Amino acid sequence: MSQEPLLDQFIESLRCLPGVGPKSAQRMALHLLERDRNGGRHLATVLEAAMERIGRCSRCRNLTEQETCAICANDQRDRSLLCIVESPSDVIAIEHATGYQGQYFVLMGRLSPLDGIGPAELGLDALADRLAGQPPGEMIIATNPTVEGEATAFYLQRMARKHDIPISRIAHGVPLGGELEFTDQSTIAHAFSSRQRVES
Amino acid sequence: MRFDLEPAYILHTRSYRESSLILEAFSREQGRVALVARGARGSRSRWKNMLQPFRPLLLSWSQRGEMGTLTAADQVAAPPSLMAEPLFCGIYANELLMRFLQRSDPHPGLFDRYRDLLGELAGGRAPQAPLRLFEKHLLEAAGFGLLLDREPGSGEPVEADAWYQYVPESGPQKRAASGSDGDLLVSGSALLALQSGVIAPRHHRELKGLMRHLIAHYLGDRPLKSQSLFYES
Repeated sequence: MSQEPLLDQFIESLRCLPGVGPKSAQRMALHLLERDRNGGRHLATVLEAAMERIGRCSRCRNLTEQETCAICANDQRDRSLLCIVESPSDVIAIEHATGYQGQYFVLMGRLSPLDGIGPAELGLDALADRLAGQPPGEMIIATNPTVEGEATAFYLQRMARKHDIPISRIAHGVPLGGELEFTDQSTIAHAFSSRQRVES
Repeated sequence: MRFDLEPAYILHTRSYRESSLILEAFSREQGRVALVARGARGSRSRWKNMLQPFRPLLLSWSQRGEMGTLTAADQVAAPPSLMAEPLFCGIYANELLMRFLQRSDPHPGLFDRYRDLLGELAGGRAPQAPLRLFEKHLLEAAGFGLLLDREPGSGEPVEADAWYQYVPESGPQKRAASGSDGDLLVSGSALLALQSGVIAPRHHRELKGLMRHLIAHYLGDRPLKSQSLFYES
């Protein structure tokens, strides 16, 4: 493209970000170089520090720069509730949307045998150790309602049952503000079969 | 080439680029096909939630080269409700189809068997017999049809009350029942049951062992992953 190897390398490196193609990478690079060098320097130091220091929580495997993450370390949170999610973004979603005050365990994926991911690859033995060592009073399964998420949920149920841990699953149904007409068949079927009695 | 409204099931999906999916679908008339579903993971996708395994779909796609591009998808019926063990069995069947079928090699008979299998799994029946028959038909479709009712070479009919060692790529060979030196022995009655398609509960164990042995033989050194789901952690 040009005779400027560093500039080319800069643009090319930005493309590792999701949703960034050659055009946007070029725009970002030129923006930082022409208009916001301080912002660029700041980004560079924070990026480097984050890449070096952020690791996984030893208890829940969520992202943290400490040995244990803020949620696991917080004494105010209810240690008898354990919510199992697939990814760190699910933790953020639940933290933002609900008043959940228990703890988490992040699977970092789901059981997907056709991708070669079985219970061993997912590291479910770490969860098994935790269930055996400090059994929670309730295990809330919040895997995604996909085929792989369902398979994972059932596998987790079986693990919890072995330790006599009460299990619950988050509800699946018609989205709030949605319309039945535009909801897919399977969701409606699920919502119908797990309908709740309304106290009159 | 364009294909319109082909009955198909999705066997597997994986993420592709920012918001797309690559589907491995098993269509009735075209066999196993790989399709790109552009934008399928985006929040405004028309196919949101639909492109999942086990749902009876009508897929339309255009194809140039090995990978097709999905142009339309419709769900024709409510999906069989597969939960718990039957869900694992369904995933196992999908892995078998992925491993044994070549792309663009049609098997309409096997497709119908697969549809029936999903119905039986969802119906809460014991999965053993339907799975064994599905495995038998799958091996047949993949070109590894099993000889079950007579011995290879001699052509002697299999006797219900005799014991046999099943030699892969050959057939059953009569053995003395007591002479087990680690060989997998199968009763003649179990072999005949698998042949006829009427499998009694007393044959479940033997036939599971037999099919597992044969499938492992044909798959070589990359074993099936979905079997690990069935083991207790």
